[in-house]
Amino acid sequence: MRRRPGIGGLQKAAAARDQYRLLGENVAKLRTDMMKEQLATFKSQLEEFARKHKNDIRKNPAFRAQFHEMCAKVGVDPLASNKGFWAELLGIGDFYYELGVQIIEVCMLTRSLNGGLISLQELCSHLRQRRKKDREAVTEDDCLRAISKLKVLGSGFEVITIGKKKLVRSVPTELNKDHNQILELAQGQGFVTVEEVQRRLSWTSGRVIDALETLLEEGLAMIDNGSKDGKCQYWFPCVSSVYSFVGSDT
Amino acid sequence: MAGESTIGPDGLFHNAEVTTSGRPVLRRNEVECFLLSSVDLDSEDDPPRFASLRSGNLILTTHRLIWIPSSSQSNASLPPSSLPLASVTHIFSHKKSIKSMFHSPRIRFQVDSVVVVTIVFRGKGDFDGFLTKFWECWRGRAWEEDEKRESEASGSGTGAGTVAQGLYGNDGTVRMVGLAGILRKEQEQWESTDKSLQDAFQDLNALMSKAKEMVSLAEKMRQKLLSAPSSSQNGSGDDEEMGSKEEMQQWMLSVGIISPVTKESAGALYHQELSRQLADFVRIPLEQAGGMISLTDMYYHFNRARGTELISPDDLWQACTLWEKFDVPVMLRKFDSGVKVIQNKSHSDEEVMSRIRTLVTKTETLRTGVTASDAALTLKIAPAMAKEHLLSAETKGLLCRDMSPDGLRFYFNLFHEFDLTNLHFVKDFGTYGEWVKATTLLSV
Repeated sequence: MRRRPGIGGLQKAAAARDQYRLLGENVAKLRTDMMKEQLATFKSQLEEFARKHKNDIRKNPAFRAQFHEMCAKVGVDPLASNKGFWAELLGIGDFYYELGVQIIEVCMLTRSLNGGLISLQELCSHLRQRRKKDREAVTEDDCLRAISKLKVLGSGFEVITIGKKKLVRSVPTELNKDHNQILELAQGQGFVTVEEVQRRLSWTSGRVIDALETLLEEGLAMIDNGSKDGKCQYWFPCVSSVYSFVGSDT
Repeated sequence: MAGESTIGPDGLFHNAEVTTSGRPVLRRNEVECFLLSSVDLDSEDDPPRFASLRSGNLILTTHRLIWIPSSSQSNASLPPSSLPLASVTHIFSHKKSIKSMFHSPRIRFQVDSVVVVTIVFRGKGDFDGFLTKFWECWRGRAWEEDEKRESEASGSGTGAGTVAQGLYGNDGTVRMVGLAGILRKEQEQWESTDKSLQDAFQDLNALMSKAKEMVSLAEKMRQKLLSAPSSSQNGSGDDEEMGSKEEMQQWMLSVGIISPVTKESAGALYHQELSRQLADFVRIPLEQAGGMISLTDMYYHFNRARGTELISPDDLWQACTLWEKFDVPVMLRKFDSGVKVIQNKSHSDEEVMSRIRTLVTKTETLRTGVTASDAALTLKIAPAMAKEHLLSAETKGLLCRDMSPDGLRFYFNLFHEFDLTNLHFVKDFGTYGEWVKATTLLSV
């Protein structure tokens, strides 16, 4: 039969479209129902897991680290949201978010001393002091995960590796390659002199002074003019293990 | 065992029982901790309180110090001797001096508050390790805990490696009492931990494969629902779609997939609720902080206030980005440096700029400029915020920076005031004039 253009044809096309749409919606609905079902199954499986191993996750840092690695491989983020199944059922949300809050606190308190750069070791020891009452041990791996979550807040929370040490940055100051090299050099004695940097890294004095001045400005370095040999020493609290900060609980 | 002492008039050392192969017989619960060879035990005093024990093996246990003459000893008259740790009253700290560098290492300790014994290490060995273990065993006071076998086993956990040597009985056969029981218990503990961990890992694997399924399913659903154009004509269809999109977001959140808030979606219902809650909560901290607060500070304050059921940083971020969809008096703002802040919508840039302008055109500040901390004090905002404001004022051309050994200072930008047709003309009006007045005071 010849397809008639005109009103009849248009009406027919509209009817056909409607039918397809309805079918599509049904299919979508089916999919949605299936999704709901799958979700319920997953939730109950997670509940079962939590019942048996919630304690293991809390008490055993190695197991916890393995758990995180597997989640990352699968593509889920157990710390994504407080309302996620993971956080709710396994209870690890509060552990990491609280750790995040404490890390922010420690970084804020020590910022005036180290300019916003603190070694991971020192951060962990401060945290352990604060958490003496808690029975759950905090490992460096836990700190790293908590910090990676804090990144989204935009204050520049990041972990950088300089030489053998890991440093935690809590300010938006960007450190370029020159600064990193100086920090690495400073790990030896806790300080550097202009001559030392020139000698060891074969830079021009201008380059050395420029980098050191920037680090001074940002508060990452402190200057000591009183050494016996008259040379000016630039100290870096974040890499030097010489000083310890006695903090008080606020 | 505590037989008659044969050395010294005051019975310092006791006889030590040894097996036919020359190994010491350990008492019940006594665990060997350290073994060193070529060791002398000398008396510090003059006349010596006891005959020196030369060139033997020194064994430190949880209960005693046992000295056994080495088999190559021609002088067989020196019997194996032991000294109970209970009678040690003080261990002297090892002072490193020039003299000590040339001598064999030695450790001195005091017995019964009277006699000082020196251990001279003539052979090779880990002397520092020995000293540490000596302290540990002495402090451990294992002899006082003979009843509590288990705590002993854990206290002298180092015995795990050397216990095997102490298993020999009098006739050389393996002793099956006491120590064996401890060993068995330790073994069981290891096994049970191992097993429960194995279980845990198996369960973890099973869970993860399920999670993987969920992820791929969620992805398919997401592609379909979020990218499909709103094709339905009637209003109710839109709502339905919106509802299912919200649901979708919620599900993905539950599984642990972070999906960005897009133009089409309003995010998960949870985040919408949180968003409103945050807008209410943030009012007071904002006022206290002078109209602008960093997202990090917000996270800190909000979670501290909550106490439990803390939100994740991602939750906070998502909730704040939703503000632009709702009619709330606060907004999220990102600076060039990456710093994210929450500010009042009414707290506009112009307002801050005018306050900064007022600040830098004062006589004092025309002369000395402002640092970020000065600005923070005067404007009553956080120093990090103050710095951001000063930097953006500089970008707008209001301020000039001056980097000096004193730090970074900002001055009013006078370049605008120059008459371009007559550059060298020093004005005596306007801010230029003020500046001249302010700075010439110095030369007086």
